[in-house]
Amino acid sequence: MEIAEALRADAARLLAEGRAKLVIGYQARGPHRAPAFISDPAKVNVLVYDNLCKQNLAVYLRKPEVRLKGPVAIVATPAVMRSLMVLAAESQLTEATVLAVGKDAYHGVLDLAGAAALLKEKYADLAPEPELLEALAKLNALSPEARARFWTGQFAKCTRCYACRAACPGCYCQRCIVEKNVPQWVSAAAAQHGNYAWHVIRAFHQAGRCTLCGACEAACPQGIPLMLLNLALSEEVAKRFGEKPGYDPAAKPVVGSWKPDDDQGFIR
Amino acid sequence: MKVLDANKLSDLAAALAAAGYRVVAPVRDGREIRVQEWKPGAAIDTSAVPVNSIKEFLFPRCEVIARYRLEGDDFSPEPVATDAPKTAALAVRPCDAAAMVILDKVFNPGTAGVPWPDGWEYKDDAWNARREATTIVPVVCTAADQDCFCTSVGGAPDATAGADAVLRSADGGRKFILQPLGPKGQALVAAAGAVLAEGDAKADPPAQVPVRFDAKAVTEWCGGNFESPLWREVSLACIGCGACAYCCPTCHCFDIQDEATRTESVRLRNWDTCGLSLFTLHSSGHNPRPDQASRWRQRVMHKFSYFVEKFGSLACTGCGRCARLCPGGMAIAQVCKEIDEARKAAVK
Repeated sequence: MEIAEALRADAARLLAEGRAKLVIGYQARGPHRAPAFISDPAKVNVLVYDNLCKQNLAVYLRKPEVRLKGPVAIVATPAVMRSLMVLAAESQLTEATVLAVGKDAYHGVLDLAGAAALLKEKYADLAPEPELLEALAKLNALSPEARARFWTGQFAKCTRCYACRAACPGCYCQRCIVEKNVPQWVSAAAAQHGNYAWHVIRAFHQAGRCTLCGACEAACPQGIPLMLLNLALSEEVAKRFGEKPGYDPAAKPVVGSWKPDDDQGFIR
Repeated sequence: MKVLDANKLSDLAAALAAAGYRVVAPVRDGREIRVQEWKPGAAIDTSAVPVNSIKEFLFPRCEVIARYRLEGDDFSPEPVATDAPKTAALAVRPCDAAAMVILDKVFNPGTAGVPWPDGWEYKDDAWNARREATTIVPVVCTAADQDCFCTSVGGAPDATAGADAVLRSADGGRKFILQPLGPKGQALVAAAGAVLAEGDAKADPPAQVPVRFDAKAVTEWCGGNFESPLWREVSLACIGCGACAYCCPTCHCFDIQDEATRTESVRLRNWDTCGLSLFTLHSSGHNPRPDQASRWRQRVMHKFSYFVEKFGSLACTGCGRCARLCPGGMAIAQVCKEIDEARKAAVK
């Protein structure tokens, strides 16, 4: 529990010094890990950190009720720090106070630039799990018809609860396309046509922005393997544009920028 | 009594399917156990509470409730038949069966034993047709996890509310006893035929589910605390999705949408939830529930206050799915416990 102890000490210090008025970290709730929102330095003891702490806490930085209690310091794994880089690159935040935790290590209190440096120095080679790469390779080897059957079966489970969207730090639109209902742009029916449209739109809107943190798939109450979609698009972005989002807080968005030497092979 | 070997649940399903039932049962699907239409060869898995309730087989996520044709100035409605196949919900959970009785209050008030509250004149034909066609056979829970709280909301791991028959684990998990509780259950036992043997078995004790909060106290507190700052505190972790409502066996809100082309229109009833911002958004742009705090308040108030006031029961059966599946790690039982504690502190 060394990491947790260091986290608690720094959280208490940040709150006591007034550098943060709210620390967001993890606490235990039975077998689950739930977010902890701490304003009182005397209450930092609820903070825990272990490999069950997987929720991407960066998602709370956009929540109005949370912002009202700021300035915020956030317990951040490399995945969370990468989300912060994307948010900074997209002008959604200008600064951050992170309590940086890594694989079996605690890296202390960092600002945005410090987190960027840490990511580049120690976590530049973050790669998807081998099982995920293997599952995507298997899926890619199927015929388009067989792939369509696979996704039809997966999307049939979707209830349109939008937990995938809500859990993603990158899904921060004030009004999502599925909420544009005058007229209704995307069918709200949890049926094949609406579900297909929703999942394809969600994945496309993440192209070049997704850091593969896995929050969407972990959030899905129906167990839809969304990471297969995310990884397929990420691989495409890496191959065509050489980009790996979530490292540079000043990066230009892949889909929102143009370079003369961009691959234009798709124009036929 | 009617007994069958514990590993013969699929044989029971097969016999019921052969007798003309659509069998829905918990079957493992990847990482999840899901209540789904049973197909030959599928193993029924009662080892954990499934991710979905049986609600969707009586009140589907999306349902066509009307069709129209439009030709020039002509508008012609077309009949829509309710799809209500004869169904056996097999080896489902007592908390799901109990939820169907709660939903009857909304969708079928005024029938035997169900009061008809003032100003509530709604009868849902589709629900009632499917309810009539469905035989519910829960399995008594012999294990509970940390998110189960049926005993806090008037239920029990061996409760039979809403059940037409009940399966009980027996002889240390080696057998099941199938006990019919009414005419639908008797018909199901008869349809099962030789799969069920006449025999003796000793029922295993039901799970121990500790009481985690005082539901009456929660109802009472809710009545006077619409503006409490507690709502904002307890809902900080809410990320604003509908996972809790859609896995809930009693949540029953829906939205009606028309999907039309130039020549035809389909009117759909889709699940909807108070957890999403669009739920209460007015066409003016005003939203009377502008944040997750007010949406969470609605979730708790509806289940523990408004429903009690209108229909005389809680609208929660303690299945714990919302806590198991919440991407923000929230748990309604935890919120209710905090309310219970807030009330005790206020009384002191």
